[in-house]
Amino acid sequence: MGATEDHPKLLCRETLREIERFLDGELDQTVEVRIQHHLSDCSPCMQRAEFRRHVKVMISEKCTEREVPQGLSARIHELLRDTDR
Amino acid sequence: MARAATEDQALRERFERDVLPLLPSLYGAALRMTRNPADAEDLVQETYLRAFRGFAGFQEGTNLKAWLYRILTNSFINTYRKKQREPQTVEGPDDIDEWYLFDRLGAQAVESSAEDEVLDQLPDEDVKRALESLPENFRIPVLLADVEGFSYKEIAEIMETPIGTVMSRLHRGRKALEKALWETARDRGLVEGERTDGRD
Repeated sequence: MGATEDHPKLLCRETLREIERFLDGELDQTVEVRIQHHLSDCSPCMQRAEFRRHVKVMISEKCTEREVPQGLSARIHELLRDTDR
Repeated sequence: MARAATEDQALRERFERDVLPLLPSLYGAALRMTRNPADAEDLVQETYLRAFRGFAGFQEGTNLKAWLYRILTNSFINTYRKKQREPQTVEGPDDIDEWYLFDRLGAQAVESSAEDEVLDQLPDEDVKRALESLPENFRIPVLLADVEGFSYKEIAEIMETPIGTVMSRLHRGRKALEKALWETARDRGLVEGERTDGRD
């Protein structure tokens, strides 16, 4: 695990603690780069990161509605046409 | 008088051009919030009506999608939550292991890829139901982050909560969703039983 790092276990702990924010793209660049670097070195952390990424993508794909009920768009047009601002 | 009418017409045209194309995404979010198509339609119509009335006050060039989702979320909380009488869960799912799903699927996996495949086999409807099973305080941040792709800052604005609250609810909501997905996979017979090997 991250044999090239001075404190690999600390890096694992930091990576797993920050993994959610990392995958959400919400980390400061310095931390993000450090975690990216650690992930390329540490396959157990990488495996967990890839798993969480997969879950996130799966939820997005499977919970997105692609169809709107027939007539809803027309009903909204009508509603707005009859509405004064 | 004529000038006011022209301005009104321009605003209407801008609304139709910019806001109406967001209908599929708003309807999807409304459906995950209300959990039924009839209420989702009502909620979306109410959202469009409120957005239309407030559109003159919307500053062009700022975040239109977040502005609309804020109206949607507010309308949901003020109108449909009361109607649906969902019990308000303030405390959340806290006793779930940090790597709940990873550990359980990992214990099942024969090959390294198998854990991901189980999730891919879940029908869309099951995953939607799993998300909808979360208490509202946790469901909305997960929906906004993972399905709609909003940032923490945008979610904080949409939900009118501090960013720290968003992060905490998102984290707990995702864990609860992992547990719901596991239970769904188990009910579908895609995985075997419940493992209680105490791994953290």
